[in-house]
Amino acid sequence: MNRNHMNNEKTSSTAGKGGGRKLRNDIIFIAALLCAVICLGAGFYFLRPGGDEVVVKVDGEVFGTYSLDRDTVIDIRTGKSGEQLNRLVIKDGKAYVEQASCPDGICAAHKPISRQGESIACLPNKVVITVQTRDADHGPDIVA
Amino acid sequence: MKRTLLVYLLLLLLLASAFTSCGREAQKFSEYSFDYFDTVTTVTGYADSQQEFDEIADEVFSLLGEYHRLFTIYHRYDGMENLCTVNELVDGAHRTVTVDRRIIDMLLYAKQAYEMTGGKVNVAMGSVLSVWHEYREDGMDEPWNAQLPPMARLQEAAQHTDIDKVLIDEQACTVTLTDPQMRLDVGAIAKGYAVEMVARQMEQKGIAGYVINVGGNVRTLGAKPDGSGWTVGIENPADDAEDYLAYLQLDGESLITSGSYQRYYVVEGKRYHHIIDPVTLMPADYFTSVSIVCDSSADGDALSTALFCMTYQEGLALIESLDGVEAMWLTVNGKQYYSSGFSGYQTEY
Repeated sequence: MNRNHMNNEKTSSTAGKGGGRKLRNDIIFIAALLCAVICLGAGFYFLRPGGDEVVVKVDGEVFGTYSLDRDTVIDIRTGKSGEQLNRLVIKDGKAYVEQASCPDGICAAHKPISRQGESIACLPNKVVITVQTRDADHGPDIVA
Repeated sequence: MKRTLLVYLLLLLLLASAFTSCGREAQKFSEYSFDYFDTVTTVTGYADSQQEFDEIADEVFSLLGEYHRLFTIYHRYDGMENLCTVNELVDGAHRTVTVDRRIIDMLLYAKQAYEMTGGKVNVAMGSVLSVWHEYREDGMDEPWNAQLPPMARLQEAAQHTDIDKVLIDEQACTVTLTDPQMRLDVGAIAKGYAVEMVARQMEQKGIAGYVINVGGNVRTLGAKPDGSGWTVGIENPADDAEDYLAYLQLDGESLITSGSYQRYYVVEGKRYHHIIDPVTLMPADYFTSVSIVCDSSADGDALSTALFCMTYQEGLALIESLDGVEAMWLTVNGKQYYSSGFSGYQTEY
């Protein structure tokens, strides 16, 4: 029943003059809607907060997330009374540990990181600093 | 009017289906822990929800924890025999210790690894490694006073590294060290062996689309959900390196890298790392890193340590004599070498 009704209407509306204008309006509306969706998607992709950033985790918990685009110095203080320190420096789009209280100093000797998935770990202070870039899908799945 | 409504409805449906299909796709999750094998462990995998991922990651961590407690030589746990208690002396001698079956299996594998690597991987070298451990710990506590172990002391310790004096009774599940001066140290294989055992247990449960990475010991469990392999970038430790040393495509295989930059201490401005050549009793200085690709993470761990302590020619001969094992060497001068089939795993990026 329903289907017949629809077919009838389709025939009658495309035949008439007023139907043609209506169709054009529909096309414009759909095109506009599609444009809006595409723009929205692009907006989400390019303007999402952070962009390229480093995520600092201490013993599994997020300590902070920092943009790689802005030069800054972050003191990652850990331990019961904040006696442990990893000084994270972000400079020229790269992140490195400038100074650390840990005994081995391996984190401070690590080269600056900037590419998707790269990380610096400080075992004694349980700190992991990982790069997350905007085009995360294009980097390797795992860095070893 | 009804038709317009229909078009809008269809459009809405299209958009809705687009969004819901996004939601159904497995997402990538990652979790790490500092609790095992004195390094960072990362579990990465695809799951439909955080909860589903957490359950699997927690199981991996829990299994790794069991192996860690069995294989550690630095801690003892109440009501349990582990390698720490096997190493202990009672009235000047080692006891015959009844241990968990997993310790027996690992030690049997260790004897195989000794044969495979021509003695370069020797779990009975604990006496020598404990001297290095002591000086490294002291050197890190007081960097201004860091020293190298005296060669005489290392040579004395090296008298007590005969792996045939590790007696294993498979039936009774016992271990006896017949040389009182001998100590076990399974650091060269324990991580890789434990990761392999855990990976196999997870695979038996049908788990795929996961990667276990214990401090550079990478074991992939199957491919990603879309069927493609995991792309793994091998880190270049050089400060001015612009790219990874290599990109590999792995689908169930392991990648293990042994590097001089992973653990070391500094004496008078020079780095001394933790991979000790059983012949020279000093840190091997041929390479900055050696990477192995093969199925078993246990073999990969043993071979990466062994190749680190050999010349490139010796290592290449060993690798080419083994089926399904490939290697990449990075020399201290920054030159890269590859075994004949290594490029088969490489991918462009």
